[in-house]
Amino acid sequence: MPARNAKQWEKVPGKISSGEYVDSRIYSDRDIFEEEITKIFSKVWMPVCHESELPDPYSFRTMTVAREPVLVVRGADNQIRAFLNVCPHRGNMLENRPSGSFEEASPSGAPKHITCMFHAWQFDMKGNCAHISRATEGYQDRLECKDVGLRRLRCEVKYGGFVWVTLNDGIGQTVEEWAGGAFDCMQKSLDAEPLEVFHYHKAIIPCNYKLWHDTNSEFYHDYLHYHNRVTGFNDSYFARKNIGFDNGHVNVGSFEVQYDEYEGFESREELSFPHLPTNHWEMIDFFPGVNFNLRGSALRCDIMTPLGPDKVMIEFRGLGLKRDTPEERLTRQRHHNSIWGPFGRNLHEDLLAVTTQQATMSEWADKRRILHGRHELDADGDPTIHDEEGMRHFYDAWGQWMDRWPGDPDLSYEEGQKRKAA
Amino acid sequence: MSDATDTAWQQICSATDINDGELKRFETGQFAVVVARVGDEFRVIPPFCPHMAEPLHESGICRGGALTCSKHLWQWNLLTGEEQGPAERPLVFYESEIRDGDIWARVDQELVYEFDEEDDDDFEW
Repeated sequence: MPARNAKQWEKVPGKISSGEYVDSRIYSDRDIFEEEITKIFSKVWMPVCHESELPDPYSFRTMTVAREPVLVVRGADNQIRAFLNVCPHRGNMLENRPSGSFEEASPSGAPKHITCMFHAWQFDMKGNCAHISRATEGYQDRLECKDVGLRRLRCEVKYGGFVWVTLNDGIGQTVEEWAGGAFDCMQKSLDAEPLEVFHYHKAIIPCNYKLWHDTNSEFYHDYLHYHNRVTGFNDSYFARKNIGFDNGHVNVGSFEVQYDEYEGFESREELSFPHLPTNHWEMIDFFPGVNFNLRGSALRCDIMTPLGPDKVMIEFRGLGLKRDTPEERLTRQRHHNSIWGPFGRNLHEDLLAVTTQQATMSEWADKRRILHGRHELDADGDPTIHDEEGMRHFYDAWGQWMDRWPGDPDLSYEEGQKRKAA
Repeated sequence: MSDATDTAWQQICSATDINDGELKRFETGQFAVVVARVGDEFRVIPPFCPHMAEPLHESGICRGGALTCSKHLWQWNLLTGEEQGPAERPLVFYESEIRDGDIWARVDQELVYEFDEEDDDDFEW
């Protein structure tokens, strides 16, 4: 097969059809990135943390959703609520710390209150304004506490205790409706008993967030992992199915891993998550940038916060059962870290792929086609994980949210579909 | 004077521990109290401001018989507990007396102010 000149390089290769590739600009174009923030990330449900990170009444956690600062608190009634982390007075960020408690008084504020350090306006855990400094003197009767509550955000605790938030008041869907059945594969395991975060690290990676999602969506890149995996996996690894759900979510079917065949590994049987068959592995690629990964004894959740077209922050959480004994917890952590810890077998390998992909796709590079045209069905006619249905399913949802055709983002979704039909 | 054998009463501190115009916090075992002094009179109060539960031993200022919480300027007549200025609730006292130069208070039951949060059951999206 000869190399190609510029004109040949621009053509769609072979008999790949529209809908089986994306234009590389969707990974590098600044305008498209801005649109993803406004049209997708500010419109959907995103998990932002786990309820075990808010252990007591008045615990809080801060983060961003679609670049808006968000504050999540646990109230005296144990309910978790989310607000914009913005003071209604002069727009100051209410809380700068990543986590902590409002139980004790701050130097300028009352205990059990959120206090803006700028002018000491204070708010309770329900977002009510509780104090405006020098209110009568400054505002007479023109502005009262009842007029300046915090901006509350829709918030649900769902699927093993994850805290979900959306900026979109009018989303019209619960988290369960949004998931569209994608959690059916692991909900019983996640909701059997309380979970707890035992591992957290975050990384800022020089790649588009979708490239990380892509690597989680196809599984024949085990050419990359081959040296580590040749012993532990078996034919059933590749016989797994990619199952799509409404709204762009994908479930990667489970199989039994031969952990004891891995050099240096052991069976995860003893600490299996409830209801999960021994040593099995369930995974959900959740639209638009979350991954839930349940392997035997440990749950991993990656939450992606896009920072730019070529930059993503990924927060990695590892979870176990809240009732773990210290010994069980150590074993679970070892199981988790040996694959997914910063020095585990998995993450750095995926990292190598996504960063070198991004390196070829700078915003100054020529546009080119990134293929996801593999179709490999099993005997029942369902897509296996060799099949790139996971990515096609994701990009179809992406195209609808963006009203752009992923294979040619200059076209609307409808125009792209027409071209595909033609 | 109360019955000295009454176990509901506890010795909180010595009168000489506190200067005129001073507020000090003490632990009784179950909970904390603040002792305030106006001339030769003493008052034993809960350690929180009735407004927003500010810790009064830090935020309180005691001058000329008045207690002022410096956080939001609620103020009381320290001898009677009556509100002054913007304060909207009176100060409450533990029953107390001086016995042989020590401050004793009846602390069998903690005095607490209710700090109700507004409900948000009717929150509309």
